[in-house]
Amino acid sequence: MTDISLSQARSRRLSRRSGTALRYLLVVLAAATMVVPFLWMVSTSLKAPGSVLTIPPQIVPESPTLDSYRRVAESIPIVRMVANSLFVTVATVLLQLATCAMAAYAFARMRWRGRDVLFLIYLATLMVPGQVTITPLFILVKELGWTNSYQALILPAATSAFGTFLLRQAMISIPREYEEAAFLDGASHWTIFRTIIVPMSRASLATLAVFSAMGAWNDFLWPLIVLNDPDRMTLPVGLSLLQGRYTNDWNMIMAGAVISVVPIVAAFFVAQRAFVNGMVSSGLK
Amino acid sequence: MKASPSTKRLLLTLFAVIGILTPAAGVAAVAQDATEITYFTFSAAPDQLETLDAMIAVFEEQNPGITVNVETAPFGDYFTELQTRIAGGDAPDVFELNYENFVTYASRGALLDVTDRLEADPDLAAAIYPKALEAFNFDGAQYGLPASFSNVVLFYNKDLFDAAGVEYPTAEWTWEDELAAGEQLTNPDQGVWGMNAPVTYNEFYKTAAQNGCEIVADDGTVTIDQPECVEALQFMVDPVANGYQPTEADLSGIGDTDLFLQGDMAMITTGIWMFPQFSEAEFAWDIALEPGNTTKAHHFFSNAVAISSETDKVDAAWAWQSFLSASPEAAEIRVGANWELPAVTDQSVLDSWMGQTPPDSREVVFEALDSLVTPPPFTNQALIQDELDVLFERVVAGDLSAEDALAEAKVTIEGVLSE
Amino acid sequence: MVGDRGWRHAAWVALFVLPGFSALLVFIIGPILASLVLTLYEWDLLTDPRFVGIDNFRRLISDDDFWAAFRHTIGYIVGYVPLVMVSALAVALALNARMPALGAIRTAFFLPVVSSWVAVALLWTWMFNPRFGLINYALGLIGIDGPAWLYDSQWAMPAIILTSVWKDLGFVMVVFLAGLQSIPHDYYEAASLDGASWWERLRSITLPLLAPTTFFVAIISIINSFQVFTQVWIMTEGGPSGSTTVLVERIVKHAFSYGEMGYAATISWVLCLVIFAVTLMQQRLQRWSAAYD
Repeated sequence: MTDISLSQARSRRLSRRSGTALRYLLVVLAAATMVVPFLWMVSTSLKAPGSVLTIPPQIVPESPTLDSYRRVAESIPIVRMVANSLFVTVATVLLQLATCAMAAYAFARMRWRGRDVLFLIYLATLMVPGQVTITPLFILVKELGWTNSYQALILPAATSAFGTFLLRQAMISIPREYEEAAFLDGASHWTIFRTIIVPMSRASLATLAVFSAMGAWNDFLWPLIVLNDPDRMTLPVGLSLLQGRYTNDWNMIMAGAVISVVPIVAAFFVAQRAFVNGMVSSGLK
Repeated sequence: MKASPSTKRLLLTLFAVIGILTPAAGVAAVAQDATEITYFTFSAAPDQLETLDAMIAVFEEQNPGITVNVETAPFGDYFTELQTRIAGGDAPDVFELNYENFVTYASRGALLDVTDRLEADPDLAAAIYPKALEAFNFDGAQYGLPASFSNVVLFYNKDLFDAAGVEYPTAEWTWEDELAAGEQLTNPDQGVWGMNAPVTYNEFYKTAAQNGCEIVADDGTVTIDQPECVEALQFMVDPVANGYQPTEADLSGIGDTDLFLQGDMAMITTGIWMFPQFSEAEFAWDIALEPGNTTKAHHFFSNAVAISSETDKVDAAWAWQSFLSASPEAAEIRVGANWELPAVTDQSVLDSWMGQTPPDSREVVFEALDSLVTPPPFTNQALIQDELDVLFERVVAGDLSAEDALAEAKVTIEGVLSE
Repeated sequence: MVGDRGWRHAAWVALFVLPGFSALLVFIIGPILASLVLTLYEWDLLTDPRFVGIDNFRRLISDDDFWAAFRHTIGYIVGYVPLVMVSALAVALALNARMPALGAIRTAFFLPVVSSWVAVALLWTWMFNPRFGLINYALGLIGIDGPAWLYDSQWAMPAIILTSVWKDLGFVMVVFLAGLQSIPHDYYEAASLDGASWWERLRSITLPLLAPTTFFVAIISIINSFQVFTQVWIMTEGGPSGSTTVLVERIVKHAFSYGEMGYAATISWVLCLVIFAVTLMQQRLQRWSAAYD
């Protein structure tokens, strides 16, 4: 090797190393940008009233207190709201999993007349944004006398064309041989669905569960419209209520925000992989 | 093949899920032994809930068998919510209405006509302040009973006036005097603002009246672009442009009334509902009539109690409505809590209200009633208000002249009225 | 016999399809059709609906507020989509390697994604507070006198865009990462042996092979952006001076503040048509790019 090529190799290695350092710095800085606002949220919620509107802002609260959390609990039924959000989320996810998996089974594993047309109708509804249905849906819910009820939140989300599509794609790729033996043994569709197809679609079911759970937990516009009784409100609507009433009481608003963020972040830590898969395939929608 | 046990289980589960969900809606409709009525209010929350509870306690004692459930919403959300609830068939039995929104609800048949009940009880009618009672008469029928009324006057910080050597406002003041005082009182070094009145449609229709501007003429033509109106809008914007009044960015979310209470604002045009909060101020303050220009004009707000035309508990609702509006008990509790002014004629109640301080010049509140204005009766109030507020914001930001804004406002209002 | 089997089969199909399909029919398909009919009516929900023919569409064409909201929505897309894509791609490229504390760093990017939009919008309203917020404080430290953000009609939309980029960065990044990881490693090894620099490898291998992902992300982001609502509703409610009104905000205002259900439905169909046009364009472009591959 000549001297020149040697020094070239060294400089390339050097630049690669400094490139790695630079890249790491960039990533850490970007990650900090993500985290710092959350710290500011927590910090604000822990400040004593009166030490929020200060110039310059206190980065770390001087005398931290949980007072804001107490005041949130006094002004809105926050515990009830957490429970409402949980209940609505769980019910929505269970219903969606059941209806979507069953329909997907029929689309993927059964032959019947009209199947492809019906599936096209499912796909067509995916093209229509949710805002189109919001006025008629409100009128429907009102006619049914469902305003301020849980079913007004849960039933309109009882099924999902996207979820049906997602699960159909997963179920269609399962080889036929698995169920043929079972059919010969006289197993019914239901048995095959339950014992073969559902277990083999577990990953996609988890994806759908995460996706619909995030949707139900974070939904704002629809609950905003159909709920006005604080006792029935889910967290996002409750939070906006807090903002409407205490415009400038940032301790309280941030305390409410912390309360709303903690459960979903905790769930994320528990099921990180499912969350990430859910995000990737939710892009398919 | 029979349905397998697991099929049954699945169906049962599905029905169970649906079954769990359905009863929740029906609960409210189930009749109970005791009559339970809901009362929906904006003016009680959040500061006067305990006062309202005290009134309810007296009422429930006088009317065994009736219980009142209070539901509240902040003023900003109240009417959207009320509209949604009425539309959703979930109207509260009794609810609060302000004068501005009264016509909308009365004309759409959402309110119960109580004319006969009122006529049957002359003592009751005599106990209610006539001007306020009249306000809730629509097409010759009584659709609501006033519970309180209030107006807007000029509040001023005496200490700041003394420090700046400015004479206190008098009934003879005009806009010019107010602006001059505003300039003298403004002190950026100490963070003191001279004056404040929101630049909004609600403030505008009154300020316009102070200059003899009519927004809509008697024959229905929109005359909001008249020179008198332009002058009024210009007068509202000038304090901001000259730095006597804070912009939204200067406030950064802090309320204008908070600044006054902190002693950082010398004059503020706001409602007498601020009396209780301002009584905590650590400086001396008083009120005066609004200056006005060619004539005096003052806001008149009255909150009435109305019964939903859908309720099936009319007797209980009426008992609560008339109690809240005209009973001496409710009025006394209201005065005791410094919660607006009860719309009653009982002199002893009014005297005890007059006797409270601050402010010293409470008679101003009654003097202001001689020049009250009410907003133009637009059918789609919310839309027009939003549109004009945006135009005014643009004038404040300097993107639009007062003249152009009102020319545009005229087109907007005509457009909305023609639909 | 066949009939019996046929009926039994049909019963099975019905059992599987009906729970989902009936919900779809009642809560999605029905309302979609009803919404179409509603565009021909005006209805305040208190009085009887009034047939107005195509008046709602006529009104829409001359409604300055609608067009302003349309422009603002496009402005949001033009600001948000490139920004979120470039920054997410940059982070994905940087993260697509072994490095210390990789898991923790990735998690940081997901925090905003899983948080609710209401909480994020409230947090950033507070961050952007001109006098007491963290942003202008930080800008002050480096000698910049920050703008009034949400109180300034020039800066309110940029503030909303920045907030949205912050919220969605992690999501877009994950999709890019999935795309990056599907690029076979051999390509890079071959290029390394040829002495290609980082930049050359990015240009000639990564970006071309990532094109389908990029394209997909762009379309999804554009479609989602047309539906921007919660952040606007919480942070500005369309203000100041109406500078941040957007299409969905118009729908909600007309339906639920002004009692104009029919007009709201009309705007929602325009939104639907625009999104449909974007999807069609996507398919055209995809076919076109496939033909030239």
